Amino acid sequence: MASAFASKFSRVGRSLLGGLGNNLSGSLTTSNETVCNSFITQQQRTFIQMRTVLKVVDNSGAKKVMCIQALKGKKGARLGDTIVASVKEAHPNGKVKKGKVVYGVVVRAAMQKDRCDGSEVKFDDNAVVLVDKQGQPIGTRVFGPVPHELRKKKHVKILTLAEHIA
Amino acid sequence: MRLEKCWFCSSPIYPGHGIQFVRNDATIFRFCRSKCHKNFKMKRNPRKVKWTKAYRRLHGKDMTKDSTFEFERWRHRPHKYDRNVTEDTLKAIKKIDKIRMDRESRHIARRHQGKKAKEFREAKKELDQSISLVKAPSVLKEDPSLTLPKLKVKVVPSQSEQDRMEE
Repeated sequence: MASAFASKFSRVGRSLLGGLGNNLSGSLTTSNETVCNSFITQQQRTFIQMRTVLKVVDNSGAKKVMCIQALKGKKGARLGDTIVASVKEAHPNGKVKKGKVVYGVVVRAAMQKDRCDGSEVKFDDNAVVLVDKQGQPIGTRVFGPVPHELRKKKHVKILTLAEHIA
Repeated sequence: MRLEKCWFCSSPIYPGHGIQFVRNDATIFRFCRSKCHKNFKMKRNPRKVKWTKAYRRLHGKDMTKDSTFEFERWRHRPHKYDRNVTEDTLKAIKKIDKIRMDRESRHIARRHQGKKAKEFREAKKELDQSISLVKAPSVLKEDPSLTLPKLKVKVVPSQSEQDRMEE
């Protein structure tokens, strides 16, 4: 009698456990995947410093630039700061040629930056808009979203050219 | 000042709180706290995470359709300030809030009611069918007092389960 009860119970228990086990293994694998993903994609974001390669998001002709100096700040540049960069990749007939040293404003940064109200903002990638020494943009278009903090940094021209303001 | 909604858990984001992530197609994802931000980074679907509003709405845990929700709406034109209107609004907010709370509690009570009755029915059925596992029918005939009562007294399902386990 007791054995019958036990057997029934154990069966139930096993089936329950089996279900649990399946679930567990499933969840484990998924969590592992997500962890891996997060390790690959979500590394610690840092300042834009020497040798950081940034995407150029205007039509100046440069495609990729490498930061060689942040004009302000000891650790490096952040969102809205100006940097000196060297052009690493460029379109064949653009205004800017490969190997030139240019100035640029960081319009998107993956490292989060505090807003004036204390909240934070961060972007998908590190992107730059090339400017001359006076701060006027070299290109005539700006692609993708830019932060409204540029107004504070006196880059109103970039803001007016931008498609989206975040 | 605008109170935004968290992308993950739909809670309000008060000024100065949280983080916002701007994707390259200019969609803005706002998060109320790092918990929600981390969950987003782990690519979790808020509809599948139990503590979010999205999950609760989807699974009928919370009230979804109600006339009190229609006051909160995105208005593209800013309203001109009117002292009287503002005063009335402030009074109405309290009243509406109370109505919503009452309705929500009623909704939850109704939800619980069905569950309890269902559990009770199932427990009763199990007790009827498998009492023989605990006590053989012959013994039961001899001394019916030793078994659990046949629903003359109100039996809490969980307790009956426990008793069975002890036996």
